[in-house]
Amino acid sequence: MTAGTFARPGTGRGRRGGGRPGGGRPGGGRGRAARTVRKVADSEQFNGWAFVTPGAVIIILFWAAPIVWSAVMSFQRSNLLSPSTPYVGLSNYRQMIHDPIVSQAIQNTLIYTALFVPGTMVVGLFLAVAMNRNIRFISVYRTVAYATMAISTIGEAIIFTWLFDPSYGIANYVLSRAGLPQQQFLNSPSQALYVIVAMTIWGWTGFAVVVYLSALQGIPQPLLEAAAIDGAGPWRRFRAVTLPLLSPASLFLAVWLTINALQLFDEVYLSTQGGPLNATTVVVYYLYDQAFQQFNFGYASAIAYFLFLVIIVITVIQFRVGRRFTYYRS
Amino acid sequence: MPPGRRVRRMPFSPWHLVLIPATVVLGFPFLWLVVTSLETPAEALRFPPVLIPHALRLANYRDALDSAPFVRFFINSAIVAVTTVACNLVLCTLAGYAFARFRFLGRTALFAMIMATLMVPFQVTMIPQFIITKWLGVHVLAGVGINHLGALILPNAATAFGVFFLRQFFRTLPIEYEECARVDGASRLTVLVRIVLPLAGPSLATLAALTFLDSWNSFLWPLIAVTSTDQMTLPLGLATFQGAHSTEWTLLMAGNVMSLVPMLVVFFIAQRYFVRSVAATGLAGT
Amino acid sequence: MAMTRCPLRRARVLAGLLSVLAAATVLAACGTDAQGGGSGSSASGPIQVWEGYTGADAKAFAHLVSEYQQQHPGQKVSTLYVNNDDTLQKVLTAVRGGSPPDIAYLYGSWAPNVAQIPQVVDLTQVVQRAGVDWGDFWTGERAVATVNGKVIGIPALVDNLAVVYNKTLFAKAGLPVPSANWTWQQFIADAQKLTDPSIKQYGTAYVTPGSEDTVWHWEALLWEAGGQLLSADGKQAAFDSAAGLASLDSLRTMAVTDKSMYLDPTDSAYANLFNSGKIGMLVTGPWDLANFPNVKYGVQVMPAYPGTSGGHQTISGPDNWVVFNNGSDRVSAAEQFLLWLTAPAQVESFSQATGELPTRQSVADKAGFIQQMNGSLPGVGTFVTNLGNVTQARPQITQYPKVSQILGTMVVSVLLGKSQPQAALATAAQQVNQALAGN
Repeated sequence: MTAGTFARPGTGRGRRGGGRPGGGRPGGGRGRAARTVRKVADSEQFNGWAFVTPGAVIIILFWAAPIVWSAVMSFQRSNLLSPSTPYVGLSNYRQMIHDPIVSQAIQNTLIYTALFVPGTMVVGLFLAVAMNRNIRFISVYRTVAYATMAISTIGEAIIFTWLFDPSYGIANYVLSRAGLPQQQFLNSPSQALYVIVAMTIWGWTGFAVVVYLSALQGIPQPLLEAAAIDGAGPWRRFRAVTLPLLSPASLFLAVWLTINALQLFDEVYLSTQGGPLNATTVVVYYLYDQAFQQFNFGYASAIAYFLFLVIIVITVIQFRVGRRFTYYRS
Repeated sequence: MPPGRRVRRMPFSPWHLVLIPATVVLGFPFLWLVVTSLETPAEALRFPPVLIPHALRLANYRDALDSAPFVRFFINSAIVAVTTVACNLVLCTLAGYAFARFRFLGRTALFAMIMATLMVPFQVTMIPQFIITKWLGVHVLAGVGINHLGALILPNAATAFGVFFLRQFFRTLPIEYEECARVDGASRLTVLVRIVLPLAGPSLATLAALTFLDSWNSFLWPLIAVTSTDQMTLPLGLATFQGAHSTEWTLLMAGNVMSLVPMLVVFFIAQRYFVRSVAATGLAGT
Repeated sequence: MAMTRCPLRRARVLAGLLSVLAAATVLAACGTDAQGGGSGSSASGPIQVWEGYTGADAKAFAHLVSEYQQQHPGQKVSTLYVNNDDTLQKVLTAVRGGSPPDIAYLYGSWAPNVAQIPQVVDLTQVVQRAGVDWGDFWTGERAVATVNGKVIGIPALVDNLAVVYNKTLFAKAGLPVPSANWTWQQFIADAQKLTDPSIKQYGTAYVTPGSEDTVWHWEALLWEAGGQLLSADGKQAAFDSAAGLASLDSLRTMAVTDKSMYLDPTDSAYANLFNSGKIGMLVTGPWDLANFPNVKYGVQVMPAYPGTSGGHQTISGPDNWVVFNNGSDRVSAAEQFLLWLTAPAQVESFSQATGELPTRQSVADKAGFIQQMNGSLPGVGTFVTNLGNVTQARPQITQYPKVSQILGTMVVSVLLGKSQPQAALATAAQQVNQALAGN
């Protein structure tokens, strides 16, 4: 049984987890079956690598090699202008520890991620369940959800900065009708980040809906019918049957959304540019600023590496925790 | 009819009460997009934005098409997107299936490496990527390098996202069928093609739609890699309406609307695969 | 256990493989398209110009390019649109990858850093050639194009800040329009009178993303108050002075006390608001005039602080055409093109066609030029004459981006009411001194 990605292989755990490659047991069967089993064992290595190599070559060549290159850069002082890039050891990393903006950026990024990921998953799941039925106009509803991913980030940024404009936006208009005080939103260092959260949840809902919708298709109707026959109500059926069967999709979404949230950039770049007063400065925005506006490319690479380590740690934790809660049907 | 099965096409399902407001919230920016594409330039320069234009100015679309070789950009984007999707479907299926089902030396490390490529921001990797792509174009691939559509396709011909996504999906399939087929003597490839792929419709459709979207909207890498106008893709073309100091909103939004149409078409097609009922494939009784 | 009865999906895999094959064929076919004009490494082929012109500017520039190619047979120029904000990123990547363009349009504020790129061509001798008349370019431009005595660019664009005001709103409020020798006190008073919360109307606006856009608006006030940004040797902050205090106090009065200032965190809403008649006065540049088709506007020079030496001076943000070395043949071709492009005749026709300010004084001084400009873009004539009020430029130091960031935070914190001007100045001065000394 395949354990989680980063765990040791072979920790059998019964029904949990993915497929069990057939055979491999010595002495299993006789004659033709034995030859088949040996052939399987022999060719598994070959097959594995044959299947994986074309894709892996492209990904490693174009994405992993650059990562190694920029790791090297993080130990140099480079401004991308002159070709001289002297080695400075760990001084970029040391500078990072003493840089107050880095700690603020980390804080902003973590708060953002903690709000964005669950928010998007819940909204996406709710809408996917709502759209997983064959009522009239369902294609329209689904297409609109998908299309939110298609809208360009610049359009998204413009709409939301308008919606939340302190003077002219609809958000404050609604608040004033409800008798609540007007808010400063993007002009307020304490509120700006939450506007970005709202903007990006809107932008990613479509993705969550699409992922959950396709996963919902894999839930066998007979299972739900059996549960209904046993007397389970709709909410109970959802909790006991649907949710567990959706857990692989949920894990996938959690991991993917987290990886993206921790690397938030476009929306910040196109709306607040890290302001006001660094309230929306997230790690990738800060490193972009350092690389291409302050000409500290070595420092930016060091920040990128630090972020890389953080993402790896969080992803591993997610996979491990996920292993306990995800249910793969086999 | 077994209890619990919803009547098909019930006209006044209460779910509409949820879906309509949700669709309004999700779709509101499209209204703005379309409205702006039909305004006069002067109307587009107002704040708060005008939501009901005086007249519908379809000439914006013609002006947008006239101001730059948009047909060329469209063709370029289409070539890049379609090829990227096709390559991804093939390569990520193979790799994802291998990671999901096979045990081979170095599998964990390789998967970890592939996942790790998702975790470094592009701003940092784009320069070495540029150098690698250029080197390949000059020394290996006979011109398929910088400023060639191949440079836009090749780095994304297989994505870690695709591999990850399909691996997760393949793991949700019950292994019994595949094991049965293996015992019967089928090769791994045959098992993949004849047993697994038929069940993978929704996931493949999802991956195709998402990859298409990603490729169609990709901006930063084409910005860096393209150095002549005839190799530009749609997002770069749309950017010509966006100056540093002033933006031609009406033309930009007209261009955006035109750019959206293929993506909506792709999704509409892919969407049909979502609804294929898996119950019909006889997986009951698991 | 029932086996699936689904039909063979071999077709799908075959289709996938076929499309990969088809793609390979397509790639091979397309391979012939992208020859020439690409990486710029071939000795012949058109010279590559990366520029960010849109709209009317783009049409005028394209016209000039084709005119050049007509007049100089054998010389080929190919242009590529890159948004000016993105050009630096693309240039740096290309330089690192060994494929810089031949000519690129780069912001003047990047000049001190761009000068460090080894492929940038030193144009000092070129601009001294007969017929070029380097002194004809405005002082501010030449200051920005020259780094440590080396000329690294030819001026592509010049602008400045002045006050654009809504005549209708002034009339409605019963206020006289700004006069040429008005003061900041009058500006603040006008702004207050033009503010009406009940109809969400503001007297003025300011952009608050904390970027250089935020900073250079304030620097104009600092200079008008008679202050300086840095000491003469460029090693110490000099803005924490009475002038600095006066300038920040003016901003604080409007933003915090009178609430007559609309704060725009996005750097784009303010122009649309002005065009919708919601803002009375804007400190902005000539590029915005075309964005105000719906208001009757007037243009006036910047106000002054009485009793200081600053006068009505203003700040200018020139941009440069920079040449990159891709071999001596291409460099001479590029220089030839640039010298033609920036010659008085072309400067004049470009300005007339687009409303951009002329980069040469001789063109601005020509009889009837300003009237003609005002005819096609009302008010731009004031910006042209205002070029005479540009007497200094921002410090040409490599640490300027860091200094700009510190100043941006300072101005925004005062505008948002998060700190008092005196304290903000002191903190910023300290940080600037560190930045100038440290790196």
